[in-house]
Amino acid sequence: MDRAAARRVTIISAPAGSGKTSLLRAWAGRPGQPHQFAVMQVQRDQRDAQQFWLALLGAVRQACAPASRAEPPAATPDFNAPAMVDRVLSELADARGDITLVIDDLHELNSPEALAQLTRLLTNLPPQVHAMLTTRHDLRLGLHQLRLAGELAEIRAADLRFSERETRELLDASGITLSDAGAALLHRRTEGWAAGLRLAALSLAGHPDPERFVAEFSGSDRTVAEYLIAEMLERQPADVQDLLLRTSLLDRVNGELADLLTGRPGSERILLELEDANAFVESLDPERTWFRYHHLFADLLRLELRRTLPEEVPGLHRRAAEWFIRHGQLAEAIRHTQAAGDWPEAARLLADHSFSLTLDGQAQTIQALLQAFPPGADYPELALVHATVDLVQGRLDEAAAHLAVAETHAETAPPDRQRRLRVAIASLKLSLARRRGHLAGVIEQVRFLASPVTGQSDEDIALDRDLRAVALMNLGTAEAWSLGLPDAERHLREGAVLAREIGRPYLEVGCLAQLGFAYIFHGAALPKIHPFAMTQARCREAIALAERYGWGAEPVIAPALMTLAGTMVFLGEFDEGERWLRRTERALQTDTGPDITLLLHQTAGILHAGRGRRHEALEEFSAAEHLGSQLEGSQALASQVTGWLLATQARLGRPGEARACLAALADERAGSGEIRNARAVICLAEGDPAGALDAVADVLDGTAPVLGYVTVVEANLLAGLAHRELGDQRAANQAAERALALAESDRLVLPFAMTGSRELLEALPRHETAHAALLADILDVLHGSSPAAREQSSLPPAEELSPGELRVLRYLPTNLSRPEIAGELSVSPSTVSTHVRSIYAKLQVRDRSSAVQRARELRLLAAGRTR
Amino acid sequence: MRFHLPALNHGVMDPAPALYVIRIHGHLGATVLSAFPAMASRLQGAETVLTGLLDRSALYGVLAEVEALGLDLLEVHQLTPHRRSPELGDSRSP
Repeated sequence: MDRAAARRVTIISAPAGSGKTSLLRAWAGRPGQPHQFAVMQVQRDQRDAQQFWLALLGAVRQACAPASRAEPPAATPDFNAPAMVDRVLSELADARGDITLVIDDLHELNSPEALAQLTRLLTNLPPQVHAMLTTRHDLRLGLHQLRLAGELAEIRAADLRFSERETRELLDASGITLSDAGAALLHRRTEGWAAGLRLAALSLAGHPDPERFVAEFSGSDRTVAEYLIAEMLERQPADVQDLLLRTSLLDRVNGELADLLTGRPGSERILLELEDANAFVESLDPERTWFRYHHLFADLLRLELRRTLPEEVPGLHRRAAEWFIRHGQLAEAIRHTQAAGDWPEAARLLADHSFSLTLDGQAQTIQALLQAFPPGADYPELALVHATVDLVQGRLDEAAAHLAVAETHAETAPPDRQRRLRVAIASLKLSLARRRGHLAGVIEQVRFLASPVTGQSDEDIALDRDLRAVALMNLGTAEAWSLGLPDAERHLREGAVLAREIGRPYLEVGCLAQLGFAYIFHGAALPKIHPFAMTQARCREAIALAERYGWGAEPVIAPALMTLAGTMVFLGEFDEGERWLRRTERALQTDTGPDITLLLHQTAGILHAGRGRRHEALEEFSAAEHLGSQLEGSQALASQVTGWLLATQARLGRPGEARACLAALADERAGSGEIRNARAVICLAEGDPAGALDAVADVLDGTAPVLGYVTVVEANLLAGLAHRELGDQRAANQAAERALALAESDRLVLPFAMTGSRELLEALPRHETAHAALLADILDVLHGSSPAAREQSSLPPAEELSPGELRVLRYLPTNLSRPEIAGELSVSPSTVSTHVRSIYAKLQVRDRSSAVQRARELRLLAAGRTR
Repeated sequence: MRFHLPALNHGVMDPAPALYVIRIHGHLGATVLSAFPAMASRLQGAETVLTGLLDRSALYGVLAEVEALGLDLLEVHQLTPHRRSPELGDSRSP
């Protein structure tokens, strides 16, 4: 075992009862064991990848940072498996000392997706981490590379078999006196099988005639496990036998549940005694309240229960189901209701709770429960459940079809259920309409959900509050997308407050993430209040909350990540923007909805455009425009994307193409400020500066509708460029000055880069501007982003900064504190402080702001300089 | 998720159950036998022979039980001649 543990990964692959788990425990519990252990046991027939990963993460956390302040890992409705693997890896990488990750009963994991992700984890383990897996059969893990590299150790059944000498030792250790011949006989009969020997030892302990027992056992042809379990059960008092049989149908049991199933008190004491006697019962928690039986033992007990008390089995399942419902463990309750054969009741339960189970992140569990219904049987309630799962997984057409079936069913349902079903249907339709960008549909459903409700059970009220919070989130989101700004903000705020009240952090994060996105429009219309800084603050707030729950890279937070990336780009922090954009991409790996993907392309487009990479920008804008055409309602950003697309075409020397697209636009859109600006760019490209001035006139005098003041900044710059072409330097200077004045409060940089205004700004005499500092910053970025300037960059640094120092340096212009920077970079605060001290020394400065200034002079912060 | 195509096609083309014989080491008692309600059992020396008409997924269900109960599997084989092709039969006829 020690030899095996020297390898990166150890797989113990052997049949039931071979002593895999015992071996691990003995090894882990050995005195002087230098490893820390992160131990998890895979639940029976685990089909829910998220539940598997949460358990794994929990185990890793407990081993690495037992007193961690972070919230316990929580599930989300839209699970991002690759991000989860990254999280586990980063927690393992941060751990001090050797860690052994133990995954017991891996054969129970019935999710090909989770196995594939696990392969990635195992092949990328940090050097101080080892993994040990136990399984009953070989798994389809792609570990060939590890095997070739000699990093994989395999322990198989033959290695686990007890030798005759070890059999002897086991008997001695259990205080059993048996002749050598008897021990040899026992070894031969059990073939050194661990479970057989342990069972035999249990029966032998205190047996009046051990030799006879062994002789009889050897004389029998019955299978080892069955013979020995029967023997052991017979030796137990009747109440213990009864308890073991009746509770065998539970995956885990506690005293209360066992009392309920046996109809007798005192079960907890029996369970504790059984564990102490090593009788295939083990506790699951340090307080010893929950227990489970060894799988093989439980399977045999279940068979015995069905054989001897068949008529009681459904009743036992029903009682267990009731207990689990009372304790809010719905998935378990539904499983037992199914096992009792109460299919219509199971369907009703699943339909009633699929919404909250989805919010709890158990969509895959729902799917497994759905598959357990008998094939061919028709339970109309399940249509609603199918629709819920389809929606979570982005199958919008299937969801719509199932919803139609559910609606038909709701009409014929008994009156007391009708209202409930209708509410659930309305809420799903609302999510569907939101995903499709269909605002009218959203509003229609919200009106229904807002109707007052009376005479409900507590359960109904809880459901209503869940539904209401989701409705507010969807409504606010749809409004943000279609420019219903004050309403969007109000609804998202209400949603966040309600979500916090009802303990649904996922919805709270969702509302706040969308709020960041909504705010950029709302704020952008009011330049006087630093909208970009405010937006950034809100996004960071939402992201911090998401991170507390470990959702920093989940789809739910993507709108805030993306908005933050966008604001960084607007402020000329291109590297920073790119970093946030990459993080957004990671968060969106499992969500391919057109709405959010559109934003991703648009933000990537402005990043490229800001850096002067126009071909790449054009590609991204085209992709965004294409996705926009797939959304049902008109969306807020449409004119902006189209405007940038046309302008980029024109700047790439293709004004003809741009003009053709322009001609195809409807009048209403062509009249927007964004499209007018694009028209001006086209005119400039065609050598028609007067036409350009004409195009932006309505934007400058405020008659054309604009998305935000950014459009007005852009229009001023385009006017300035046109005046320069016309030889009117004075007017050009005035236009540039107006653009600077507007950009000042947020220190906006992007429009200057996108419009190619470098020469315009350089021609502006310093004594004629009231915004010299901003002007210098902007020119700094413009120099950095122009390829020619980058190559001839002068001013060698006093001393070259290390890559680690450069990474820290890039955070110095932000308002993040050192611990916050440490959090961003996933390093310790003391590392950051060391880097900062060394940066100050190398740049020969004494504080943060002069470090930033010096770094700017040295072009260390300029885009594309370091990567 | 990847599907194993040949198996999938096979499953579609050959849904008919076949007669399987499964030999297990040791005598199975009433408790363990109740895990195989679809199979008839008889003892043969120190072995138990289970026989039953199973389709593919039932067969894998039985094998999973064998694994779960830690039984010592000796042999699985199919009795019914497997998928006789009618064309083949035709070509042989005179």
